[in-house]
Amino acid sequence: MTTIAAHELSLGYQRQKILHELSLVLPEGRVSVLVGSNGCGKSTLLKALARLLTPWQGNVILEGYDIQQQPTKAVARLLSLLPQHPVAPEGITVRQLVRLGRHPHQGWLAQWSEQDERKVEEALTRTELNAFAERRVETLSGGQRQRAWIAMAVAQDTPLMLLDEPTSFLDLAHQMEVLELLASLNRESGKTIVMVLHDLNLACRYADHIVAMREGRILAQGTPHEVITRERVKEIFHLDCQVIDDPYFHTPLCIPFARREDA
Amino acid sequence: MSEIGALRIGAFSRAVVWRSWRRVAIVAMLLGLALVACLSLGKVPLPPHELRAALMAPGSDIGLIVWQLRLPRTLLGVMAGGALALSGWLLQQVVRNPLASPDTLGVTGGASAGAVCYLAFLASTLGSTWLPLAAATGALTAVGLVYAMAWQQGVTPLRLVLMGIGLSAMLAAVTTFVLLSSPLSTTLSAYVWLTGSVYGSNWTEVLRLASWFAGALLMMVPLMRFALLASLDDALAVGIGVRVQLSRGTLTLLAAGLAGIAVAWGGAIAFVGLVAPHLARRLVPGPGAAQIVMASMIGSVMVILADLLGRTLFLPLDLPAGIFVAAVGAPFFLGLLIWQVR
Repeated sequence: MTTIAAHELSLGYQRQKILHELSLVLPEGRVSVLVGSNGCGKSTLLKALARLLTPWQGNVILEGYDIQQQPTKAVARLLSLLPQHPVAPEGITVRQLVRLGRHPHQGWLAQWSEQDERKVEEALTRTELNAFAERRVETLSGGQRQRAWIAMAVAQDTPLMLLDEPTSFLDLAHQMEVLELLASLNRESGKTIVMVLHDLNLACRYADHIVAMREGRILAQGTPHEVITRERVKEIFHLDCQVIDDPYFHTPLCIPFARREDA
Repeated sequence: MSEIGALRIGAFSRAVVWRSWRRVAIVAMLLGLALVACLSLGKVPLPPHELRAALMAPGSDIGLIVWQLRLPRTLLGVMAGGALALSGWLLQQVVRNPLASPDTLGVTGGASAGAVCYLAFLASTLGSTWLPLAAATGALTAVGLVYAMAWQQGVTPLRLVLMGIGLSAMLAAVTTFVLLSSPLSTTLSAYVWLTGSVYGSNWTEVLRLASWFAGALLMMVPLMRFALLASLDDALAVGIGVRVQLSRGTLTLLAAGLAGIAVAWGGAIAFVGLVAPHLARRLVPGPGAAQIVMASMIGSVMVILADLLGRTLFLPLDLPAGIFVAAVGAPFFLGLLIWQVR
């Protein structure tokens, strides 16, 4: 099992500080979702956890060690990342893309071992992309393409997956498809999943652990029931709403009202 | 069924796309035919049986033509073209833009400025022996400058391209200024060099270029998989454990070195670095070793065929190969731009 945590983490871009002495331990083997309004620092936090950004102060601890002190390839065997708008190299096929995920397991000598081949096939099967393996990534639909990216991360075979808004630009059916896939990866392979999501109701349904952020700090964290309440949503999004029990899944269901303080 | 085969010997393993390698084999045969044509054709055309006789007897009259004139010249063209194409391929990977080439990133411009300054100020005392060194120094200095100017907590592809274009313009001004303010004889020799010519090659030069080229190729072997990954965006590359800045810097340096040595011995042959990798991408889609080999062979074919045209079409004139590369390369480049915009 692999743990990831932030310890008094501060960082930002240029001179603007985005995260303020933020500490967070993400539960192993669970699905954690970061929520918050635009610009609250959730994507920045995810990038810092993925070592894409260097902390100004504090550190990110992966399996007990400072992530910045570890060889990036060793980190890539523990942690995979799906950035927000990934761009595939021109002309690359799905299978070739998924193969790239094996990079951290390869050296100069072994660049296509039997294990590599097996893991790539497994990833394609897992994401139901076998039929599309020889298609070029740019010819896929949005949902298929997102599955191809997830397949690359699955082939990377890491206990921890970080995903930045994996459902953005997808229609509802494809959002569900992607989230179901991630949930099954968590359930069946025990992967720890940390992702940023915009849709609160889907976040409530799929998260074991919700981290609500505002202005670079953690406002609340816990189970969806603990975090998503009328008062909290007001704090997080400056939005008035009614939170009811989802009659089917029994997770909190947020019904937003107009954005005014006195509603 | 997967189109990817596997080559596994003990701990060594590689994925192999057989279809791509079949295409590489076809182009290799074309390169072979071009080589034969370059050795056979010229002021004294040699039919196949005479060519064979000439190759067997280096001391005979026709043997001298083949061994001392045509062969070194052709080999120089093969290596210069191959190195330019590899350089262009690497740069296109690094800046993730099919329009990048040693010409647009200031490499050729730097080499030209170095060579022209050498011809104008030093050649009268030192002779032309050190011309390649001056050109290579110019190329590496230019890339160093571009890199330093583009640096901002690391280098992004876009900044590299912009700085490269800016510096190229500056270097072109320097080159023109030196050309115009030099005596006519210097200007003429510099002009032939600037167009790109493998005229008057000899075995000493072939061996020198070969040793540099071999060194660059040796460097390229372990770097190849990073070159293939360079076209991924930074976040993805970091995600799979690539040290992006280190990889980008090393690959750019290697590309500059390759173009530097090509230009040093073959002159500033334009367009090969742009067109050859692009054709290779068309013929061998998807990143892989086959694409790299393909690019380098196409570069070789382009330069030796251009040189063949240059020295046979307008006999007794011996025109620089660069003219014919440009005559074919320029329309191709324009077509590419038009096609890409649509």
